[in-house]
Amino acid sequence: MPPDPTIALHLIQQVAKQDRDAFSQLYDRFSTLVFTLAMRMLKARSDAEDLLQEVFVQVWRQAENYSAERGSPEAWIINIARSRAIDKIRSIRRMQKSFVLTDDPARAESADNVESSAAESEARIAMNSALANLPETQRRVLELAYFGGLTQTEIAERLAEPLGTIKTRMRSGIQRLREMLGTQAA
Amino acid sequence: MRSEHERWREQGEIYALGALDGQELKEFEAHLTSGCAICEAYVREMRETLLLLHRSITPTTPSPSVKTRLFNDIASEKVVPLAAKPRSTWRRWQVITGTLAAGLVGAVLAGTLITKRYEPRHTVYTSVINLLRDPATRDFPLYGTGPTPKAVGRFLWNESGEGHIFVSNLPAAPEGKMYAVWTIAQASAPRYVGTIQTDRTGQGGLHINMPRTDQPVETFAVTLEPVGTTAAPTGPMVLVSKPA
Repeated sequence: MPPDPTIALHLIQQVAKQDRDAFSQLYDRFSTLVFTLAMRMLKARSDAEDLLQEVFVQVWRQAENYSAERGSPEAWIINIARSRAIDKIRSIRRMQKSFVLTDDPARAESADNVESSAAESEARIAMNSALANLPETQRRVLELAYFGGLTQTEIAERLAEPLGTIKTRMRSGIQRLREMLGTQAA
Repeated sequence: MRSEHERWREQGEIYALGALDGQELKEFEAHLTSGCAICEAYVREMRETLLLLHRSITPTTPSPSVKTRLFNDIASEKVVPLAAKPRSTWRRWQVITGTLAAGLVGAVLAGTLITKRYEPRHTVYTSVINLLRDPATRDFPLYGTGPTPKAVGRFLWNESGEGHIFVSNLPAAPEGKMYAVWTIAQASAPRYVGTIQTDRTGQGGLHINMPRTDQPVETFAVTLEPVGTTAAPTGPMVLVSKPA
């Protein structure tokens, strides 16, 4: 169940006034969501914990700038988390390209872990979840983009598929999610 | 034939997913910046839809220590909200009175401080010696790279989370920039561990105390970053523990 946006909105307004109790409640409400996403994207617990802390530091600093017109509190917080996680994932790739010895097979394997973790995640997806209801080809591209931080071009290269095909799968997957969301709301 | 907005909508879906890149990304961002309320609303709606994705995965609970660390930082006012409230008149009087009192106390303490002038340096030396005494401490040479090929350094590191970095031949960071120090465990994101400053001779040092992590650090790096960059390295690498 998604968190109640009305309560979260009130909490963010209180956090903007530097109310630490409200901040504590906001953390309790969203920390597991953020941490779950961080673990899925970054894999290592220590990285995910660092990210969680960074996200809530940003929430504390920027609560005053939050506007409900720009999205729900959950979307705002998750967007902060995803942006930061993607920055980290991309910096790992840049670092690996810059100075990691590419002939180290263990390392090469770890650099390629986005795809393997996409497969690993399949086992963790609840059967009644939104992802489980997507066709495999659509689910794969959405996972690589959303959790792996890959761009459309990188996904096309990784899957050796034309860019147009990847775009179509992504858009079809998103449309399907919209339909599911509509069904849930009805 | 597709309408102009149909094309933007298609790009908006991929943009919300974070997967738009290249020229398409530049064009779409420029379109958003131009103030298109339709696309802005559409991206917002897509982001709400995509929340279904992370709700699909099995929840993982963070350690309670993260909340403790977060609230300690806030309590010690390391983290200050961006828009600070204006100070009231009463608050200004408090500040003035406090400043005068601090001045008096400062004068009394001045003599004591002079005698203790070298204490911080002494503490650092002691910490470094203790690090070196521990057989688990590893010693990594650092090599200059990118814009500073002549820079050199050493990184003492203990997996307890304590370390010390020494650098030489590293010119002072330009205005608005800083040298950020990172540790990198295998397949993990670089972790910011502090900022190092160098003196006129290009020498500098930094003692590091971080919480222990679950993966051993493999690589150490220093990058030149805009001041305040701590989430992830974005600038050129100036020192690294593996030769290029």
